[in-house]
Amino acid sequence: MEIKYTVQGLLIYITIAAYLLALLMSIFRLKKLGQLLYIFGFVAAVVSFGYRWYHVRHVPMQNLFEVFLCLGMIYPVSLFCRRVLRVGGQSADMLIGIVVLFPVGFIFNANPQKLPPALQSWLFVPHVAVYVLSYIFMAKAVFHAVLQLIGKTPGPQGNLLPPEEATYRMICVGFPLLTIGLVLGSVWGKLAWGDYWGWDPKELWSLASWLVYVGYLHFRYMYGKKHAQINSIWAITGLVVIVVTLLWVNLSRFFPGLHNYGAG
Amino acid sequence: MLFVFSIYGAFLGSQRAKEFFNSVPLAVYWMTFVLLLVVGIFIFKRLLRVPALLLIHAGCILVLVGSIWGSRAGHELRKKFFGIDKIPTGLTIIYEGNSDNRVILEDDRIRELPFYIGLKDFRIEHYKPEYLHVQTRQGDNWKFPVEIDTEYSLGSEYGTIKIIKVFENFKINLEGDNRVIVDDSGPGSNPALEVQIQSPDGRIKTRYVFERFPGHTHTDDELFLSYERIISEYISELQVIRDAGVVAEKDIQVNHPLHYGGYHFYQQDYDHQNARYTILMVTSDSGLALVYIGYIMLCVGVCWHFWINKLSGGEKQIFKTETKGE
Repeated sequence: MEIKYTVQGLLIYITIAAYLLALLMSIFRLKKLGQLLYIFGFVAAVVSFGYRWYHVRHVPMQNLFEVFLCLGMIYPVSLFCRRVLRVGGQSADMLIGIVVLFPVGFIFNANPQKLPPALQSWLFVPHVAVYVLSYIFMAKAVFHAVLQLIGKTPGPQGNLLPPEEATYRMICVGFPLLTIGLVLGSVWGKLAWGDYWGWDPKELWSLASWLVYVGYLHFRYMYGKKHAQINSIWAITGLVVIVVTLLWVNLSRFFPGLHNYGAG
Repeated sequence: MLFVFSIYGAFLGSQRAKEFFNSVPLAVYWMTFVLLLVVGIFIFKRLLRVPALLLIHAGCILVLVGSIWGSRAGHELRKKFFGIDKIPTGLTIIYEGNSDNRVILEDDRIRELPFYIGLKDFRIEHYKPEYLHVQTRQGDNWKFPVEIDTEYSLGSEYGTIKIIKVFENFKINLEGDNRVIVDDSGPGSNPALEVQIQSPDGRIKTRYVFERFPGHTHTDDELFLSYERIISEYISELQVIRDAGVVAEKDIQVNHPLHYGGYHFYQQDYDHQNARYTILMVTSDSGLALVYIGYIMLCVGVCWHFWINKLSGGEKQIFKTETKGE
């Protein structure tokens, strides 16, 4: 764990601090101030991402540092979920922002890297971007799944969905993104490595996470809200497998494979 | 089952996982899986009634059928029953200025393509700028962009350093009793820099810094030097030769393969010592169209089912009454 004494580091810490203060304001019912701080944190996250982009001269989605930096720009997803999908959990989104930016600020290596030939593809950005977006929705699904398990429901204000339905809705939005990410990765694998499926550990974990949600959607279709707790556990399992896909494969020595350059 | 197999396969590593998923028991599993999906479409009538769901499930079937069709076993079955004989996958090594049609298969057998692949030129491109790294015994270090005749300061203790010349292929020739340093234009590759270090007292030393031998120093040197170049691209200039004539040409790179005659040719490896030959991966394109059509159907199906229906006002159907269990 190390502190980054750089402009990049400063921007990351400002974002974390803004999200943390926004979360505290939300907890203490100072909603408007919390909202302002949340927006300020988002602006700092965008500036941080832009600064990194300028610094490395390519879209910064190459390694864990850059992907998590991108995950930190969570505010538009919060807004979209609340306004369009009637799914709340803005405080949880601030917490997600803090959780994903913490390793960016204190753990991951920020050394800029040139893109290796395999990553110089038009599929690089869409493949990573849709996965990043799907992970945010799946993380939000888990928050509502936990609310369902502990029996919390949103207040009458805001016309928000109850946790079980919110979980389902988040997965309904995230699952197509997960599917597109998997398919784009496969097409890219064919272009770069000659095979659309290389049985690489990261590919197999991605398939496993996709299958968990396939299972969830079939189970939800079969039994609806009859077994709401099982639905929630299924959603949580999905995120656990995603975390393994995202982190463990890159960091662990157990799964050497074609995607190891992402460890950064 | 596939979830469990996937996690098990992830622990095996790519090569063993590939063998596992292509084994006979798994071949039976894949066939059964396809069969179950087909039967499922006709048993669960809703899959036929809702186009998006039909697209999703039919897409999965096409992906699996395409994969089976393009697998090693698929190639062998087609050869046995239909007489279609294609090379599933292999490697070909081609020297600059030569052409070849031999492909080394995974089991080390050699097969021949119905056409030749010629290599006009192979080259490696690097990101600019390249860098000269300087490190002292005390651990101070500098990173300078490689620019000829630019003088860089190393502080008051170490003086300055200047890059005099960049070599692509550094060689020492003997001319009588003299050793002459040249940038050889012949075959081979030995990237190096000639640098001049001027100490604060005005003494000038010339040193050579080799990309392949970082930190190569004289015993009395106070500075460790290294030459860093980062590869941006490998490029093979290929020609397809049929009946003694060139029928296609392409400069292939990673992510930009050549497609000709039912095969894809990928930049796989190269001659690391002298960059005189390229190694290409050759793969058959059998089944690929089915897989890609399946992918499109799957993606269109999931977006249609989970997004379009909802955005076009079908929220009630998707999120409320879609579930069978309610």
